[in-house]
Amino acid sequence: MSRVKLTEYRAKKILLGDSYKGISLPTGKLPEAGKWVAKVDQGVKKRFKQGLVGVGISSTDATKRMAEWKKKGFSQFLLEPFVPHKSEEEQYFSLERVREGIRMLHTKDGGVDIEAHPEAVQTHIIRKGDEASIAETSGLPADFLKRVIEDFNTHHFAFLEINPLVVQKGATHLLDAAVLVDSAGEFFVRNSWTEQDLVKTKAKHRAEEKIEELAATTPASLKLSVINSDGGLFLLLSGGGGSIVVADEVQLEGAGHLMANYGEYSGGPTQEETYLYAKEVVDLMLASKSKSKALVIAGGVANFTDVRKTFLGIIDALRESAAKLRTAGIKVFVRRGGPNEAAGLELMRDFLEKEQILGSIHGSDTVITKAIDEAIEYVRV
Amino acid sequence: MNILKDIREGNDGSIVLGNHPGIVQSILDFDYISGKKEPSVMALVAGTRKAQKFFFGTQEFLLPCFKSVAAVPKSYDTRAKWMLNVQSGRRTLESTNAFFERFPAALGGHIFAENVPELHALELVERFGRTHVIAGPSGVGILVPGYLKLGAIGGVGLEQLEQGKLADPGAIAVVATSGGMTNELITSVVRAGKRVSFSLCIGGDRFPVTSLTDVLTMAEEDDATEGIVYFGELGGSDEYEIVALLKSGKLTKPIVCYVAGVIDEAFDEHMQFGHAKALVARADESARAKRDALAEAGAIAPETFTAFLKEIEKLPNSVARDTLVDIKSLMNRQKSILSTREVVDIEAVPAFVEGGKLVQQRENGFAASALEAMLGRDVSDKTAALVENIFELLLDHGGNVSGAVNTMITARAGKDMVSSLASGLLTVGPRFGGAVNEAARTWREGVASGKAAPNFVEEKTRGGNLLLGIGHLKYRVGIPDPRVAALAEFASILKKHPHYDFARAIESVTTGKNGNLILNVDGVVAALLLDMLQEEEGYSDAELQELIEAEFFNALFIIPRSVGFIAHFLEQKRNDEGLFRLPEELLFVRKDEKKTKKEMSRQREGLHGVISFRDGGL
Repeated sequence: MSRVKLTEYRAKKILLGDSYKGISLPTGKLPEAGKWVAKVDQGVKKRFKQGLVGVGISSTDATKRMAEWKKKGFSQFLLEPFVPHKSEEEQYFSLERVREGIRMLHTKDGGVDIEAHPEAVQTHIIRKGDEASIAETSGLPADFLKRVIEDFNTHHFAFLEINPLVVQKGATHLLDAAVLVDSAGEFFVRNSWTEQDLVKTKAKHRAEEKIEELAATTPASLKLSVINSDGGLFLLLSGGGGSIVVADEVQLEGAGHLMANYGEYSGGPTQEETYLYAKEVVDLMLASKSKSKALVIAGGVANFTDVRKTFLGIIDALRESAAKLRTAGIKVFVRRGGPNEAAGLELMRDFLEKEQILGSIHGSDTVITKAIDEAIEYVRV
Repeated sequence: MNILKDIREGNDGSIVLGNHPGIVQSILDFDYISGKKEPSVMALVAGTRKAQKFFFGTQEFLLPCFKSVAAVPKSYDTRAKWMLNVQSGRRTLESTNAFFERFPAALGGHIFAENVPELHALELVERFGRTHVIAGPSGVGILVPGYLKLGAIGGVGLEQLEQGKLADPGAIAVVATSGGMTNELITSVVRAGKRVSFSLCIGGDRFPVTSLTDVLTMAEEDDATEGIVYFGELGGSDEYEIVALLKSGKLTKPIVCYVAGVIDEAFDEHMQFGHAKALVARADESARAKRDALAEAGAIAPETFTAFLKEIEKLPNSVARDTLVDIKSLMNRQKSILSTREVVDIEAVPAFVEGGKLVQQRENGFAASALEAMLGRDVSDKTAALVENIFELLLDHGGNVSGAVNTMITARAGKDMVSSLASGLLTVGPRFGGAVNEAARTWREGVASGKAAPNFVEEKTRGGNLLLGIGHLKYRVGIPDPRVAALAEFASILKKHPHYDFARAIESVTTGKNGNLILNVDGVVAALLLDMLQEEEGYSDAELQELIEAEFFNALFIIPRSVGFIAHFLEQKRNDEGLFRLPEELLFVRKDEKKTKKEMSRQREGLHGVISFRDGGL
């Protein structure tokens, strides 16, 4: 549950309604005539500098540009009518939900590169009913600000950036817009945006996709990122905070380049869910070309995730490939605490000893980073 | 407001919204090992049952459940100071608002859900942020060792409560954004030979109701706290609140901090970690930037976790005298079927004959004893007499009523007494005998609503529904049911009889439509018993409703009629007529239309399967 990127197409459709003439590609229909702006719609930062925007071009040229972008691995594009304007008509405008209300950043004078001139940016905190007075001080059209704030709240936006915002005699044009929505708000927005409208990031590793699919079917939290598929350190971490502490240790020990994956399971997954999660990590580990490999099963002292139950799931996954793990010289290093800790650790120790893949095993009476330290040493030798 | 002082001095209770049995049991275990005389959890607002079983120490007890916070009785008001909300993120805002509206004197709570929308969290901040202590959304709650455990904080296993020394107050405050790390730090503090003064997990969401500033101010103002341990993560700017407190001199106690997330530096792009807030959006939100700012402001903020633990060891040490906890006896406890009372006093053996003479017994003694066994309290003579009258009237109503027929048929099929009685009893339901309870429900609802009888009838019968307690196949206006007339006399010995009056008012409306729609035996039994229990036995409206929910009123039919069924069974056994079979002409009204199979299939085709006839073969 977090802030996630909405496609520019959907963001503008929400903000502008039927008056928005943008076309989302490849789903939409290519226009024949007119001058257009073509761009990649995948939440990429600094699109213009990366050459992912084509301004004032014909439909044919746009098709050519998109074909080039496709070769670079992008798949989602946006075509908008070209709005001729002067550079001094350009303003920077952003809204972010903060504890005190909505933080608005704005540059009154147009054509400023805000990254080069942060001092030009005016900050306002908008609280309920403040819109009119802030419109006055900022010089923004009052009806524009009122409507944008209303949409920002109704549609559970968390962040909105319009850069540039073109203001011509009271009329506003949203040239480029980036929106982050609060994913927890999806249920309450009545389909103004759905999962489908979130930005598709670059092609994922198959294991990551599988864990995402699994995570969608359980109240527990399961996350996996493949960082270096030929790395030597494989991590089966538990707990949102504890997993970062363990990963930090890798970075602090200067072993970041060895780290193959990052992720965590928490929130009390069942034995079966833990098995499916662990199986992906084990498969990744067997596929890695690294000469020296170790698996780290680590986490803090859980509050309610059952150590025994989750360890039974992990053991199921390890057992399937035990012979291969042994042949590859892989060792398993463990540090974990929580409900049923003693029983869970004993089961794990017996199993790892029997299969001759035990690196070390620790409980809550040792420091959380013990197992990862020993694993780093093992992989480095 | 010094909430920690309140917690340590009071005997505050909590109400759980939703149900998470593991967490609830761990709180009860915490209460027990902390030496509390009664559980801090007072009730669950969850589900459809009335109570759920938990252990307090080695004893099981029933924890009351209510359908809504509005249904929690007034008697809970003085002690219910805390909310533990374990409902889903979608319901959090609504249920939290409802709780604090119902319990305006409550001090705070914990919201467990992780997926609370930001807008909802901010509304909670606005409503409660200044006045209450609310841990979350997300995280594991609040812990004051020896006094309060609100949430999964400190673990749910018995060994964990002992390991974290949760019964023993100390001098170190533990504050963290992460639930798992809260517990890791509690364990680390204990491992360093210290004890925890209090711990609050503010959660990994972007907008915690109680902010880091609020928690650290609590720690600063708390006399028991001598040092603070803090765990934070990359993303968000909470740690700058600590910086501001340190710089303004509002935080003077030593604070040891670890900000996790330097691993983010290993990735090309900033990564979203497990918690909602754990994503670097601006340069100053990185773990390193925040740690440096903390160190610069005077916090102890080491680079590695091991160094962080070393710094914890250096914090002040309070004298701890640990409670000895007999975890073993708790671990071996057994669940049982709960029966809280003896139905009858087994020791008290009634004596009917003494010295060769009959002893004068209580009037209507069996009815009184039966009633006392069922209700669990003594009853007055008037009530006993009413029930005696009901028992006698309902003993039997002839062999042609459906339950008696079933009993007799079963007896003639050669079955035993229990089977025959059971088949008779299994007939009891909404159309036969089982309407007493539903009639009681109707009268109760009517009296409670204060509605006029015609409107009530109109509402209840909309869509063709029947009013149970009204109507008879045989009796009608002009041919009154003599049993109803006899029972109705009881109204004259009661001061007030609102249910009976209401039932009569309903009758006068329904008989205006159809002469058969008179108050029947089920209806009059229900009405008079409600009035009698209220006036003579002091039953409250809520207690009457509880009896209705437990289907008590149907017992007034089932008990006497069981005798009647047995009587019919015995008669059948005496006569021993053999197997009963319904005469065919009674069952197959169109027997003469029976056709051959060939004709039938022809007919089927013609009618496209829309035929209706009875096959006599079964």
